[in-house]
Amino acid sequence: MSFLPAPLEPVRPALLTRLSPTTRLVVGTAWLAVAVIAAGPRVSFALSLVAVVLLVIASGLPLERVPTRLAPLWLAALGLGLLTVLVNPSNGDPTVVALVRAGPLRVTGPALEAGIAIALRLVVIALVSLLVFATSDPTRLADALVQQWRVPYRFAYGTLAALRIVPLLAADWAAITAVHRLRGLQRRSPWGRAAEIGGSLLVLLVSAIRRAERMALAMDARGFDTGRPRGVYRPVALRALDAAALVVGLAIAVAALVLAAI
Amino acid sequence: MSAGTPSGSGISPDPEPVGAGTGRRAAPEIVAEGFGWTYRGRPRPSLAGCTFRVPPGRVLLVMGPSGSGKSTLARALTGLVPHELPGTWTGTLRVGELDVASTPAQVVSGEAGIVFQEPESQLVMPRVEDEVAFGLENRGWDRAAMQRRVPEALEAVGLAGFERRSTAGLSGGEQQRLAIADVLAPMPGLLVLDEPTANLDPPGMERVFERLAALAAARERTMVIVEHRLDAALPLADLVLVLDATGRQLAFGAPDEVAGRHVAALERMGSWIPRAWHGRSASEDAVPGGEPAAAAPATGGSASVVGARPVPASTSDARRASDGRPADPVLVIEGATLRYPESTGGASRPALLDVRVELRAGERVALVGPNGSGKSTLLFAAAGLRRLEAGRVRVGDGTRPPDADPARLPARRLARSLGLVFQNPELGFVGRTCAAEVAASLVALGSLPDPADPRVRAALEAFGLELLADEDPFRISEGEQRRLGIVAVSIARPPVLLLDEPTFALDRRGAGAVVALLDGLRGEGQAQLMATHDPRLVPACDRVVALDAGRVVFDGPPQVFLADPPYRPAAPWRDTGTPAAPRTDRASRAAPAGVPA
Repeated sequence: MSFLPAPLEPVRPALLTRLSPTTRLVVGTAWLAVAVIAAGPRVSFALSLVAVVLLVIASGLPLERVPTRLAPLWLAALGLGLLTVLVNPSNGDPTVVALVRAGPLRVTGPALEAGIAIALRLVVIALVSLLVFATSDPTRLADALVQQWRVPYRFAYGTLAALRIVPLLAADWAAITAVHRLRGLQRRSPWGRAAEIGGSLLVLLVSAIRRAERMALAMDARGFDTGRPRGVYRPVALRALDAAALVVGLAIAVAALVLAAI
Repeated sequence: MSAGTPSGSGISPDPEPVGAGTGRRAAPEIVAEGFGWTYRGRPRPSLAGCTFRVPPGRVLLVMGPSGSGKSTLARALTGLVPHELPGTWTGTLRVGELDVASTPAQVVSGEAGIVFQEPESQLVMPRVEDEVAFGLENRGWDRAAMQRRVPEALEAVGLAGFERRSTAGLSGGEQQRLAIADVLAPMPGLLVLDEPTANLDPPGMERVFERLAALAAARERTMVIVEHRLDAALPLADLVLVLDATGRQLAFGAPDEVAGRHVAALERMGSWIPRAWHGRSASEDAVPGGEPAAAAPATGGSASVVGARPVPASTSDARRASDGRPADPVLVIEGATLRYPESTGGASRPALLDVRVELRAGERVALVGPNGSGKSTLLFAAAGLRRLEAGRVRVGDGTRPPDADPARLPARRLARSLGLVFQNPELGFVGRTCAAEVAASLVALGSLPDPADPRVRAALEAFGLELLADEDPFRISEGEQRRLGIVAVSIARPPVLLLDEPTFALDRRGAGAVVALLDGLRGEGQAQLMATHDPRLVPACDRVVALDAGRVVFDGPPQVFLADPPYRPAAPWRDTGTPAAPRTDRASRAAPAGVPA
């Protein structure tokens, strides 16, 4: 049993979970590109509004857990936004009207707008990534990439196998730090601490390589990557629904660009 | 699930071949003639001079001490040696019509499937049905055939209905049965199992052996089983191959013949011996070297341990100081409670629930329980590494009653209060030599970590590790690593030592050496709390604390625990061997015709 929090995954069937992962990947990438290209908070605000609506009605994700699981991102958005407001050069420009004035602090309209834009951009990135990646498991994404985009299966399923090793390495790391603490080996000086962490990483690397070797041997024994044509157990179809989602999704991206231009 | 499943055995009859190249393979004969293998970069062969013949459909049990090349043979039978691992091949090895050395790996692996020791290192896919289908996809099965075959393979290992479950959420025993389903799915003629139950708790092990017994009884495939858990494995074996510590073939034949001639040699080599061969009872057949608790001297090198008759375990009465009073407590855990985090769609369940454990000076306590019962969590909590929701942990430093919270102790005082050794001691190693490894712990005593410190040599000598002083800790054997890990933390003289599976995967000699080392430390007053799945270790302890779903369900003497384990079913915890599936043809199988003795 693990003390790691459970991953965020759909708890009921929903519109987005029925789409092919590649469809979501295309639309999501387009939206992120628009959010990054388009300056100003309006586009980011519009896209996050759309993303929130999709999250609520079409993602199947357990909504009550989303705010807490993304807490670090909310904090990052808030912090980055504030920082952008404070360091904006227009604050020092006397020709621009100040909205806030407190002692040496002076905040102008353009500075506030830039801060909100940055914060909202991060929110869009977080929400869209959630909608693209959390609405189906990694297996289905790998299946879709192999079947629809001809990504080499060696790479796609090799990555899936590697993902299984990650929690084991987390447990190894916990064991390493535990033993160091109990043996009184933890050092206090920054230099000593760096050396200690370096040594631990080396031990972790040895463990990771051994685990990867064993996994590779087990996969070889089961006939992985012998050059034969591979069977398909989980076909991922592109359906009319995907075509519709592509059209609507890309239309929203274009509309957002237009919104940025006017 | 397929219709017509015979009741009792739980094995579905495998269907007729489905699709081109995807049918059942006939059970092959295995023939080895002077077969040997040397891994590249190793000075001596891992396996040499193996000559044996296993008729189609028979079960071969491979036994021998650590380092005898058992796993190498398993890898060769599936073509991983020589095709995936570099080295030098000698002699011949044939699986059916295939000469392994000259046949491409993918052809050999199509005939033979292999199950490895660690479940977590051989499962690839996140979901159960995808995991079983993985090997079929690799072999190019068509989808309809896979959809028929996946549930059949799961049913054959007792995992029917598990299709949509997450592989990471299964218990160790379930994961290992899934690994067996994976290799059964493509219907190979040869099934090779390389210590399939080493990582499992007793019920998980029993379930696996039940399934293996049923598969063996079906006689549809040749099977080769490499195992340390011989009492469970021997009833399945038609033939036994014994390897010695240098990888040479010591004996081959029907179990009864080998038992008659070679028990003494096996015992000398340090191999585990099936109980049926030496006629000892369960409580006698403990890890050798488990001395009674009353002040055992520091018995060092393995020579004093090998072949020693295990001494019946002490009663808790022996755990008293010389003046008749119970020894002082050195570790007190009270009301420890902790919950796992909530998972999607499930309530959080307790990892520990109001656990109370007290450890007295000079006492060895076995911490037992199924996977997930809270053993590791309790060890972490005892070391102050996991914050409790309720309850408290108190340790002393040998001079005062336990009054300190380990989570709040400064580093050096903590090291003088508690030691912790994991199943994989490598994870804690920091030294370039074994001497440096032990010396690193001297900082806890306020000394410089000098490998030339006389205390380092004294400790290595006292515990029979002096010859390894200049060796790289990463290059010594697993048993030596485990002993080095114990010596390294014990040089700081902690009154409490916490151990996770100290005898895991060790042969009789290796396990005996670890227990002898622990006897010496206990004789000096060290208290030891060891989480273990190995019932053979239980008689070497003074007390047993049994956990189930986070609660203490038993706390008492080992004899009482072994006589009536607080688990249902209780049999696996006694290590009485596993009841095999009904075998009607046992008599006719005892001596297969044409087997070279």
